[in-house]
Amino acid sequence: MNYRPHLKPLRTPKSVVVRTDNQGDPVHVRLPGKPARRIAVVRERWRIDDEWWRQAISRDYLTVVLDDGTVLTLYHDLLIDEWYVQHG
Amino acid sequence: MARSRASAQSVPTRQGRGWAHNHSTDNDWLNTAAADTSWASGPGAGTVFQPASARTSTESRQALCLWLPTFELRLELVRSPELDSTSVALLSDGESTRRTVWQVSERAHEAGVRPGQLVSQAVSLCTSLTLLEPDPAHYDAAVDTMLEVLTELTPVIEPAGRGRVFLGMDGLDRLFGSSNHQIDRALRLLFQVFPAPLVAATRAGLAPGKFGAWVAAASARSGRPVLIPEAHLGSFLTECPIGSLPVDPLVIQRLERLGVHTLGELRRFPEPALVAQFGEDGRNALAWSTAHRIDPVRPWHRPHPIRVSLEFSNPVGLTGTLHSALDRLVERALTRTARRGRSVTGVRIGAHLEGGGSWFVETVLHEPTSDRERIAAPLRAKMAIVPPPRAVETLLLEFTEFGVQSTQTQLFDRKTEGSRATGGLDFNEGEVPVSIRDAVKELKLRIGYAPLYRVVEVDPWSRIPERRHALLSVDF
Repeated sequence: MNYRPHLKPLRTPKSVVVRTDNQGDPVHVRLPGKPARRIAVVRERWRIDDEWWRQAISRDYLTVVLDDGTVLTLYHDLLIDEWYVQHG
Repeated sequence: MARSRASAQSVPTRQGRGWAHNHSTDNDWLNTAAADTSWASGPGAGTVFQPASARTSTESRQALCLWLPTFELRLELVRSPELDSTSVALLSDGESTRRTVWQVSERAHEAGVRPGQLVSQAVSLCTSLTLLEPDPAHYDAAVDTMLEVLTELTPVIEPAGRGRVFLGMDGLDRLFGSSNHQIDRALRLLFQVFPAPLVAATRAGLAPGKFGAWVAAASARSGRPVLIPEAHLGSFLTECPIGSLPVDPLVIQRLERLGVHTLGELRRFPEPALVAQFGEDGRNALAWSTAHRIDPVRPWHRPHPIRVSLEFSNPVGLTGTLHSALDRLVERALTRTARRGRSVTGVRIGAHLEGGGSWFVETVLHEPTSDRERIAAPLRAKMAIVPPPRAVETLLLEFTEFGVQSTQTQLFDRKTEGSRATGGLDFNEGEVPVSIRDAVKELKLRIGYAPLYRVVEVDPWSRIPERRHALLSVDF
């Protein structure tokens, strides 16, 4: 049988439910299939605006620490107002 | 003339006689430090004014800010007290041409020398000016000493650049008495490690939140701390200049052009208008000016870097030799036991220079790695942009931040499994270890296919994380 290599994407973002405060900062996050957790600290945030010449990308990234110590990288897709978690 | 001096050493304890440019006039502190948002840089930078939406029990709402203005220049004058009565300027880091002045002594200031001026301008204004090369290793050692001694007062310590630190003071009343006693104790601790004139120049401000504490410290006088109770924070901030806000300097400039000079004047604007003009900075500025935003002090987790160094028998200025030395240092640091099981995300290279002084550049790696070349390459690029200004006597390397263990690409990068630990040779392209071949065969026999993938680079420098790597199926 001929072997045909195929590629699988890595670090694909997954949709999450995020509750924000009145300043737009995330307060709680619920990962798929898990209970909501409080965000203890926002460690870092940065923004990516790219690829405006084809399908524009505009994301507000945050590295957050949950109240159980888990570190997550979340981003807010500013174009469609959705939150995602992304590993790596 | 640039003055030579001894290489970096621990914090001196000799006392200087006179002192550097003392920002004692009402607005001087604003012009020299507060307007410069880089005050929020240094160890722990980036966490200094993070959103305060979520608090943990280790945070402290009541903050004490200790600030030693022109900390680096004062340290130099402590080290060389004979310069106390002369005009002295500390040079900024950077390339050798078009160097600028970073900090100036009081006498140099009187002669018209100002921070940010070109060296040529400064020397023409003050011909007797003594120029000092910066010695970041010495300054960082002093900061470490300061943080170490202050942990005797409170465990909640958050540095905010050199010479500036926030202390969490919640719950210390029973241990140390009133707020004044707590501040006295903090200063007494500093006296243990710094000479008296340096500590005497310390400004102290106590208020709810870091912003209030910083503004209080910046408006304080030496030996006269400013204490702001929570009920008076709003009124205290009313007359404070907008330059004290830790926002983009361009925002401050625009506000000043609009005739807004104090936080009280800023409060008159509705939030939507400020957000429309300045975005997030506008929202934050309003929240700070109205004292609605209180940033607690967050405990700073002291990094435990892995340090290695290489001393040259003769000072080295050749780039090729420095690059070879860098490769050796990276290899040595990677083999340290403390690094095992962790990848590297932050790295710093420095040097003690011929004739005194030191030089440092640092970089945050694009992604965690434990690969020598991936660590060394960005450092070489940084060295090309900001090379050591003089020949190098000792080359230093620090792994400053760490991540999780690297991805398993090494499984494919070594001749045998056992050789991974001993640093075996790289594979030739397309070569696969026997162990992997066997595993694939077994999986195919058992389940009909091999769910085995190799991580391959697609666009490793992409800003979009999902574009950088992909999984490539492995089969034979």
